Amino acid sequence: MKKLFTFLITILSIISANAQTVVSGKITDKKGEILPFANIALEGTYDGASADENGKFSFTTDEKGTKKLLVTMVGFLNAQKEIQLNGQKVEVEIKLEETINSLNAVVVTAGMFEASDEKKMVMLKPLDIVTTAGGNADIVSVMQLLPGSNRVGEREGLFVRGGSANETKTVIDGMIVQNPFFSSTPDVPQRGRFDPFMFKGTAFSTGGYSALYGQALSSVLLLNTQDKLGENTSTTASLNLASAAVSHTHKGWLTGTLYYSNITPLIKLVKNNYDFEKVPEGVGASVSVNENFKNNSSLKIYGTFADNRSAINLPNYDVENTKYLFANTNRNAFTNASYRQSYKDGLWVLNSGVSYSKNIDNLKIGNVMADREDERTQLRAVMSRLYGNNRSSTFNFGAETHWINVSNQFEQNLATLKDHYTAIFAESEMFASPQLAIRLGARAEYSSAIGKYNAVPRISMAYKTGKYSQVSLAGGRFYQNPDKEYLYLNKNLGFESSDHIIANYQIMKLGRTFRTEVFYKKYDNLVVEKGQAFDPNPYRFPTGQTDNSGNGFAQGFDMFFRDQKSLKNGDVWLTYSFLDTERYFRNYPKSVMPYFASKHNMSVVYKQFFTKIATNVGLTFSQSSGRPVYGINEIFGKVEMTKPYQNVSFMASKIKQTANSFLVFYAIVDNVLGRNNVFGYRYSADGTKRYEVNPPMKRMIFFGVSWTFGKLNGRSKEADLNF
Amino acid sequence: MKKLVLSIALAIGSVAVFAQNEKFVATMTEQAAAIQANYEGSYMPMANKMERIAAAEAKEWTPQYWSAYCLINETFKLKEAGEKDLLLEKAEVFIEKAEMLSPNNDEIEVLKAQYAMAKLSVDPMSRWQKYGADFQTALKRAEEINPENPRVPYVMGTNIFYTPEGFGGGQAKAKPYFEKALAKFSTFKSATAYAPNWGKEASNYFLSQIK
Repeated sequence: MKKLFTFLITILSIISANAQTVVSGKITDKKGEILPFANIALEGTYDGASADENGKFSFTTDEKGTKKLLVTMVGFLNAQKEIQLNGQKVEVEIKLEETINSLNAVVVTAGMFEASDEKKMVMLKPLDIVTTAGGNADIVSVMQLLPGSNRVGEREGLFVRGGSANETKTVIDGMIVQNPFFSSTPDVPQRGRFDPFMFKGTAFSTGGYSALYGQALSSVLLLNTQDKLGENTSTTASLNLASAAVSHTHKGWLTGTLYYSNITPLIKLVKNNYDFEKVPEGVGASVSVNENFKNNSSLKIYGTFADNRSAINLPNYDVENTKYLFANTNRNAFTNASYRQSYKDGLWVLNSGVSYSKNIDNLKIGNVMADREDERTQLRAVMSRLYGNNRSSTFNFGAETHWINVSNQFEQNLATLKDHYTAIFAESEMFASPQLAIRLGARAEYSSAIGKYNAVPRISMAYKTGKYSQVSLAGGRFYQNPDKEYLYLNKNLGFESSDHIIANYQIMKLGRTFRTEVFYKKYDNLVVEKGQAFDPNPYRFPTGQTDNSGNGFAQGFDMFFRDQKSLKNGDVWLTYSFLDTERYFRNYPKSVMPYFASKHNMSVVYKQFFTKIATNVGLTFSQSSGRPVYGINEIFGKVEMTKPYQNVSFMASKIKQTANSFLVFYAIVDNVLGRNNVFGYRYSADGTKRYEVNPPMKRMIFFGVSWTFGKLNGRSKEADLNF
Repeated sequence: MKKLVLSIALAIGSVAVFAQNEKFVATMTEQAAAIQANYEGSYMPMANKMERIAAAEAKEWTPQYWSAYCLINETFKLKEAGEKDLLLEKAEVFIEKAEMLSPNNDEIEVLKAQYAMAKLSVDPMSRWQKYGADFQTALKRAEEINPENPRVPYVMGTNIFYTPEGFGGGQAKAKPYFEKALAKFSTFKSATAYAPNWGKEASNYFLSQIK
C-alpha cells in the first residue's frame, strides 16, 4: 500500500513536472491591427508575457485545469478568455476594444471656447488669459479677443453674437455671480472682480450651451476654481500703479488676501481726461479654504468683501461745458461654498453648493441721492452618474433655486423686485464610440417674479472626421427674465427667448489649430417700450409701457487659427468674426442693428517667450468695424456708423527666481499708437449737439511687481504674471 | 494525534507559504535589478511583468511601486502628450494601491514626486501650478518620513538641473543636491533586495556633467 502510494506520488510529480503548457497567441484591435506590448497574464499567477512588436506572445506554465487569461493594455478595455491547461499547446487570438479616453474621444466643441490644462481638444490654457497683451489679465477682456464676442469699449461685459451684455451670465463653480464686475460708472468700463489665478478652467460659450445652465439668452462664462495645490506655505506681495496687495497661503489649504487700491499714481503718470472729485479707492479682503478629505470628498469655500469709493465729474450733455457729479460708495460681498463627493469608486459624483452675494451702491448723481441694492442666495446640487466604455458617458441631473432681491431708490421713488427662481435639469452625454458623442438635455424653470414656467430642450453632438479633425453641432432654446429695469414697473412681462443653432469644424494638429463656426440665433419675446420717442441714452430709466412683442436675429461665422509650432517659444492667434444682426427691442421703433454690434471683428495675438532672460513679450492688434449711431428722435433711415475701432497693445513680463523667492516685473502699454477711438455719441436733450464717447486714457501705461516668498512650488511660472 | 495533524498541516502550510515567498523574493529581486539597470530599452515588458506580480500578490506594495515606476519612466521615452497622459493615468492607479498597502512610505512619496514631474513635463507652461506643488509636497513628505532617503535630494537635484537658470535652476545650483544624495547613498541600505535602490549611478552621472 505504502509503496503504491509512493509510486503514485512519484508518477504524479513527474507528470506535473512535464505537464507544462505552452500558451501563445496574438493580440489585435477590433479591426485586426496588431497591438504591441499588451500584457497577458494567467490569473492569480506570475505566468504570462508581453506581446512583442508584432502583437505575438508565448509563455509556458505549470498550471493546470481551467484558468483565466487576462489581457490588459493602456488605451484598451481589459479582456479575458478561459483556457484549458493540460499540456496541449494553447493558441488564442484576442481582439481588444479601444477605450473611450481623453486621447481619442471626440469633444462637443460647438459654441464653446475652453481654457483647461487637463482636457484635450481645448484651444486655450488658463495661462493664456494672463499672458495675452490687450487682455490686461482680465478674464472678460481676453474673451473679447476670441471670435464671437463684440468689442464694446465704453461698457463692461461680454456682448456675444449680437447679444447685449445682460445676455451673458458669469458662473463660478455652478453658481451665478450677480455682480461679476466692479460697479458701473457711465462710459467708464470696469474690470472683473475676480483674479484669473483663482481658476483652473474657463469655458466661454458663444451659444448652444448645456442644460445645466440657464437665464442667459446668449452666453455663459463658466469659471472653475482651483483645487488644493500642494501643502506649502508662502506669501505674495504685489504693488502696481493702482494697487497694493498681500496674500498668504497656509499649508496649501487656507489663503487670505488683503488689498488696497488707489489709482492716483496711474492718473499722475498717464495723460487722461478723468475729472475726479475723489480718486477711486478701494479696500478688499478675501479668504479661501480648499481641502480634500479621505472619503473622496472635497470642500471649497470662498468669501470676498470689497469697499470701493469714487466720485467723478461727468460731462452734462444737456448744458454745454458743464458737468455733474457721479459719486459711488460700493460695498460688495460674494461667498460661495461647494462640496464634492464621489461614491462607489467614482461611479456617482455629487456636486453641491451654496452661495450668497450682496451688492450695495450708494450713489450721488448731481444733487440726487440714489441707491441700488441687490442680493442673491442660491442653492444647487448636481448628481452625475458615469457609465459606458471606460465610464466615458455621463448622466447629470440636478436642481437650483435662487432668492433674489433687487431695489433701486432714486430720490423718493423706490422700486423693488423679489424673485424666487427655481430650475430642474437633466442631461446625458453619451459616447456611442470614440468618434461620436451626443448630448441631450432638458431644463425647466419657474420665476415667481413673473409667475411663469418654461421648459426647454438642448441638444449637441460631435463627430470625429479624422484623427485630428471633427465636426460638432449644438442647438437649443434659451430663456431669460426681462431686465430688472423693466420688471420694476411691469410684472406681467414674460420670459425673453432665443433659439440657437451652431455648426463647428475644427482641426488640431501638431501645435496648430484651425476652427470655424457658423451660427444662427433667433430672438423672440424681447421686451419693447411702447409709444416713446427714441432716446439713445443707454443709462436712462425706462418708464414707458412695455410688452414682449420684440424679436430679432443674429447670424454669421467666425474663424480662429492658432500656431504654436512655427516659431520656437512663440504663439500666434488670428481671429475673425462676421456678424449680421438686427433686433426690435427696448425703445427701438423697428428692427435695426443694435448700437453695440459691429459687423467685423478681428484680432492678431502674438506672444514670445525668451527662455534665457525668462521674459515673456506679447503684442495684440485688434480691429472692429464701426457701430451704428442712433441720435435723439432718430428716424432709422440711412444709418451712420462710428469709425472703426483699432488698438495695438503690448505687454512684457520678466521673472527672477531664487531658491525661496520669486519676483515678477510686468509692464503693459495699451493703445500704443494713441489712436482716438470713438465708441459712440451722447446727445444734448434737444438733440442738436453730440459728444464723442472716448476711452478715458488714450494711451495707457501700467506696470508693477509681484514678489512671492516662502516655500515655492518649483518653477511657478504662473505666478509671474500675477497682476 | 490531533495536535500532530495540526502541526503537520501547519508545517506544510508554512512550507507552501515559504515556497511562495521564495518565488516572490527571487522574481522580484531579478525584476527590480533589471528595471534599475534599464536605460535604453522599453520599460513596457517589465511594467507588464510587475503588473502580473502585483495582481497575484495583492498584499505587496513593491510590485505596485515598480509597475508605476516603469510606466512613469516609459513616458520620458514617448513623444505624444496624449499617450504619456494615458500611461500616467495607469501609473496613478498603481501608486494609489501601493499607498493603501504601505501608508507613510518615503519611497512612494519619492515616486509621487516623479509622477508629478512626468505629468508636468507633458505641458510645463500650464501644468506648473498643480504639479509643481505636488512635486514639492511629495518630496517634503518623503523627507519627513525618512530624512536619510538619498532619492529625495537626487530627485530634487534632477529637477533643478533641468530648470533654466532664469527660473532659479541650473547645473551649479543642482550640484549640492547630487553631492548630498551621494553622501546619503554611501550609508543607505535598502530594506529588501527588491526595494527601490536607484539613483546612485545617476547622481554620479549628473555630477560628471556639471562643470
